[in-house]
Amino acid sequence: MILGFDIISLSLILLCAVLALFIRDLMGSVIVFGAYSFLMCVVWACNGAIDVAFTEATVGAGVGTVFLVSTIYSTTRIDTFKKNRLLKQLFMFAVVCVVGVLLLKTVTDLPQWGDAGSPANTHLSAYYIENSIDQTHVPNVVTSVLADYRGFDTMFETCVVFVAFIGIFSLLRIRKSKTKNAATTSPTTELTLPPHQEVDSLIIKTASHLMVPFMQLFALYVVAHGHYSPGGGFQGGVILGASLILLAVSYNFKKALSILSEKKIILLVSLGVLIYAGIGVICFFLGGNFLDYSVLHKILPATDTIMARSHAMLGVEIGVALTVMVSMYGIYLSLSSNGRFDKGL
Amino acid sequence: MEFIINYYNYIIVVIIMMLGLWGMLALSNLVKKLISMAIFQTGIILFYISMGAKKGASIPIIKQAYDEHHHPIHQTINNMDYANPLTQILMLTAIVVGVATLGLGLALTQRVYSEHKSLHEDEILETLS
Repeated sequence: MILGFDIISLSLILLCAVLALFIRDLMGSVIVFGAYSFLMCVVWACNGAIDVAFTEATVGAGVGTVFLVSTIYSTTRIDTFKKNRLLKQLFMFAVVCVVGVLLLKTVTDLPQWGDAGSPANTHLSAYYIENSIDQTHVPNVVTSVLADYRGFDTMFETCVVFVAFIGIFSLLRIRKSKTKNAATTSPTTELTLPPHQEVDSLIIKTASHLMVPFMQLFALYVVAHGHYSPGGGFQGGVILGASLILLAVSYNFKKALSILSEKKIILLVSLGVLIYAGIGVICFFLGGNFLDYSVLHKILPATDTIMARSHAMLGVEIGVALTVMVSMYGIYLSLSSNGRFDKGL
Repeated sequence: MEFIINYYNYIIVVIIMMLGLWGMLALSNLVKKLISMAIFQTGIILFYISMGAKKGASIPIIKQAYDEHHHPIHQTINNMDYANPLTQILMLTAIVVGVATLGLGLALTQRVYSEHKSLHEDEILETLS
């Protein structure tokens, strides 16, 4: 039955992927891509990857689409087509077909779908499933592998999000004094920008005001309850970021910056990475290896070596959530205001 | 027919990756190129998740009984009952990193647009020469 859902949704996904590439209007293309992400999330759930489905629903279908839309708003939504591209496209199609045939030839060497005895399912992952409860008291194996067994991996993934944020910020940021100089020397750049319209809809403001507290409460639940249910730092952080983005969209940019100013955004992004790495360094000083949480029972009250790992995972997840939340918000602010930090969508 | 049912996910992986690759190579609009990149990426994620799926298995959250002091009761856990957590965590972080890199690509696109006033590859090349 699950396989039936899998086949239907995968066929729909193909349709969405083709449409997203061929729609001439970029806005339509982006929205179809959002639908594609959402259908992908159904497929993850069909394959038993519930945490991945959660992440895809919040990140791919949610925040990713917002990023694309805000870029299109500050650039252009028309994709001009030129006839002289046609030959190149056909040639590329031939090249891609060769790659596809080569890949399809290897498909039969792979284990069948849902084969529990395949090499990927028997060696390392079996150890995690069988020992997660005994060693960490965490029923959600994904969380324990994410934050404990493969803590190094997750720490550097958090660093990648941090570095990407710093990159976007430094690429787009325009200092206020610089923009004034640019405006005086080349006034044409100012004229081409669309006139800024104050968002002043009572319905949108009230609705978002009502929704934001519940979103944030749910996000905190997702972060804190990640040990026992699908969720964790990444998903919770993205939902928190999305609630801030909702406020920034429904109000104006001044309100958005009054919640978190630029300085605070940079400080909090770094603080999240610092919490994660700091927990690792504390383990270091207590006589264990870097990110070996079991030694933390020496400073955490009323814990043994097993519960110390469980509690330290929560600390690490909070660090991840902080970095992801603020970097998503910061990326949105940079992209939607084109780095000027004065007006948004 | 049996071949298609057993390997359906992998066939779709190949087609999605072909679409993404073709979009990155052949389409001229920069935003469309980034969308193609994201489609290519979901192809790889689908490959990993399909590897980790098990027929008749539950999600990787272990059903645990607790005693009156909230300590877990020891029980034997069968690897076959739960989907593979390892491939899932690799892809979970990949999705978040993917959207951060997508944001970086979009930032670069905005810079290119503010310089050249176009997102079309050929028009940008014309203004460069």
